[in-house]
Amino acid sequence: MTVRRTEDKKYLNVTIVTHSEGKDMPVDFKYQKRHEREKPMALDVLLQAQETKIPDLAFRYGCRARNCGVCTIDINGLPRIACRSVVRENDELRAMSTLPVITDLVVRRDQISRQLRGKIYRSSGGNDLNVDASDDYHELTSCIECYACLHNCPLHEKNRVDSEERYEYGNPFSLLKLQTIVMDPVSSNSQKNDAITQAVNLGLDTCLDCPGCKCGIGIDLKGKVVDPLIKEAKKRENN
Amino acid sequence: MRINLVWEQYDVLVVGSGGSGSNAAETASEMGASVLLVTKDPLSASDTKISEGIATVRASGSADDSEDALSENLQLAGGDLPDVNITSAFAKDSQRAYDKVRANGLRPKISGITKNPDPLPLPMGGHTKRRSVGHKNSGVAFGHANWNSIVKDTKIDYKEDCWLIDIITENKKENTKSIVGALIYDAQKGKLLAVMCASIIVASGGLSTLYFPKTDTMRGNTGDSYAIAARAGAELVDMEQIQFLPFCLTSPPAFEGLLGGEPVTASYLGVLRDKNKKVILDGVYLRTRAECSAAIMKAVEDGRGTKNGGAYLDMTANKKAPKSGKYFMSFLKGSLPSAYNNVRQAMSKKESQCEDLWEVRPSAHYMMGGIRVDENCCSIGGPKGLKQHGISGLFAAGQAMGGLFGANRLGSTSLTEGAVFGQRAGKNAAIHSRNISGMNSLNKRLFIEKAERVNSLIGQKGHLHASRIKLTVQKECWENLGPIRDEERLNKTKLFISKTKKKLKNISISNSVKWNQGLIEYFELENMLDTAELMATAALERDGSLGGHVRADRPNISLFSKPYSTIVKFFGAGVNVTRLPRKQTEFKKLIKFKLEEQKKFLGARILRLMPMSLKDSVLERRYKKIMNIQKSSIAVSPGSNEAAVGDQKIL
Repeated sequence: MTVRRTEDKKYLNVTIVTHSEGKDMPVDFKYQKRHEREKPMALDVLLQAQETKIPDLAFRYGCRARNCGVCTIDINGLPRIACRSVVRENDELRAMSTLPVITDLVVRRDQISRQLRGKIYRSSGGNDLNVDASDDYHELTSCIECYACLHNCPLHEKNRVDSEERYEYGNPFSLLKLQTIVMDPVSSNSQKNDAITQAVNLGLDTCLDCPGCKCGIGIDLKGKVVDPLIKEAKKRENN
Repeated sequence: MRINLVWEQYDVLVVGSGGSGSNAAETASEMGASVLLVTKDPLSASDTKISEGIATVRASGSADDSEDALSENLQLAGGDLPDVNITSAFAKDSQRAYDKVRANGLRPKISGITKNPDPLPLPMGGHTKRRSVGHKNSGVAFGHANWNSIVKDTKIDYKEDCWLIDIITENKKENTKSIVGALIYDAQKGKLLAVMCASIIVASGGLSTLYFPKTDTMRGNTGDSYAIAARAGAELVDMEQIQFLPFCLTSPPAFEGLLGGEPVTASYLGVLRDKNKKVILDGVYLRTRAECSAAIMKAVEDGRGTKNGGAYLDMTANKKAPKSGKYFMSFLKGSLPSAYNNVRQAMSKKESQCEDLWEVRPSAHYMMGGIRVDENCCSIGGPKGLKQHGISGLFAAGQAMGGLFGANRLGSTSLTEGAVFGQRAGKNAAIHSRNISGMNSLNKRLFIEKAERVNSLIGQKGHLHASRIKLTVQKECWENLGPIRDEERLNKTKLFISKTKKKLKNISISNSVKWNQGLIEYFELENMLDTAELMATAALERDGSLGGHVRADRPNISLFSKPYSTIVKFFGAGVNVTRLPRKQTEFKKLIKFKLEEQKKFLGARILRLMPMSLKDSVLERRYKKIMNIQKSSIAVSPGSNEAAVGDQKIL
């Protein structure tokens, strides 16, 4: 029993699901703690796995400080920002389930941005740049684009996620980008109308039956993005 | 398995999607050029996105802020190493370039009085005017604007997950090289792209990952910009000049290297101590980043470093002062919210409350040297800095370029640099491509030869792994090419590099063509080694301490000695290094600058040694003054009015 406890203090057992040529391969990994009380983040575990056991392990990361939004993975089936998510005994780390896996924990991301290509800020707003934006505007631009919001999104699930170059149906992130234009004091009325039309085209009506989405860093997506867009879209429909 | 080669043709290729890459792509497209932007990280995920989000906007604080004043601040801070034409271009364009970013959704706070973007209440260290504009959500706000600028325009083609392997040039006339394109590894699609183009804009950032994990920047900074340009034959300037942030965290591992504080946030009574608690630097808030880093590393060098190879930042005197202590804490928390957040998570409660000492160590932050260009971002070369001695069609912007900051970079300038020179590069690359004809008849063999090399790497057998060799390079760079250097160490680094380059053929690379991590690691490792070699050569040539370059075995280089930049380029199997004389600031100005600086240090020392009751009242008044005019909670500096003007404290 005593031996076991010392073991516990030195190591942390996790499963890293690697992926190659369309197949998942779980790898058991014993993370060696640098001191007894260390609570490693998922990124620490992946870095050590690359250093010791799986030298060509593929995963994305950037700033290590929850700012760049690129290191999102699934931990026990839920999207987590790897650089700031503490790992516990027997956790399973794998690629996000909501986007197509390329290799190991790397997912393809650019089908999301491509659905807005040419559809935002299409003309210059023409308004004076020297106006203050509201707090709501700034809340939306705190989004770090981690894509945790794709999880359980009924709108995003309508896409053929693995095969499309540019997703037809939207997601909370794309809606946030469009609502940002609606909230922007510099936007012209036509830009705002445009943004709302785009939101409807991305399948906004699906959101009517949805209890709401969850943001990786705590933006009120339902209250500040989806509901206002639905309200504006309805208003325009009634006119 | 063989990898498919796909041919593409564009007017302009942009490498990188951060502040400079996005501005370059947008501007080149507006000029009518067909643009392909490639980025190895997701769109806009860059140092710009993770920065503190403070940008230099000339005249935002007062109408009398002239272009000359801003340009001169950069010159003095940079130890007269910056190119005057480039600092002038920065000063000239800063407002216009910033407004272009605003057109894509960047929304600063607008002053009720001037109806313009509201700068921080005091000038940042080294600036003589208020002109540093902070933003809600820091760099992430810039990240959105830059993302928008690429995505909004269907004329800009972009590809994520693409690693530029090499630039391809052709010798047109004697001794002139022209760009004909580039070979790119598209990891997402598992293809090689042969992009034929007359202009390439290198905007792929810095090299701080050479020091990982002792860095606070993006992982992707593997020196790609410098290595790729140098292999194509370009000259690089001031490659010994890298900026270290002095007060970064040493543990736990997840936080190692991240920012804890800046010299200014050490406030009036902050001092640095060695492991025996002896003061090694006072007046910290007046010092530059380079001076603080040097003090820490010199203590470590003498065996007086802390457990993790750093020093102690002691701010307890600020906190203890009965009346002014509470102001200090709110100042510290409000000045650099994200840095303080790191401290709160990584340190004990007593430490984060400044009741105990912080263990700090420098981290690599920003490369001031880079590709040698003129004020239009065109590659130049030779003693006179001429375009015909550079590479025709090669442009660089942002951290990739050199010549703007010299030996030291002032706070808040790099975001503006990305916008100003991204836009200049975009414009001039578009014009260059317009004037070039005959791209259709070019020699495809040049591309195919390079592609063959990649094919021979895929499936390479060996017992080594690039990801592990990278770790040894990072250790080597920190120890021997880091914040403290000497001749022996630099020679060691050069030897290490040549030995390691010989190991490349023994690296194992798998057979897959799609996202082959081993291949990616190999390309990045090659770039790290080439970059480190160029840096070590420049660092040996600069045989004295100046700015970001600290030589333990040589004296400081005097402000009054004749300034020069180092120029390095690959030559045969080695590196060629020369000195380029720079224009010196008038002696009158230099002397004034030195005297003011000495006066400030003296004032700070007197204040620190005053009895508590006396200094507490003085400090309370000072804090109140700052807090009163502090309307926003973003970075402000207690000593800024009088803060370190430059980098040379030595006469």
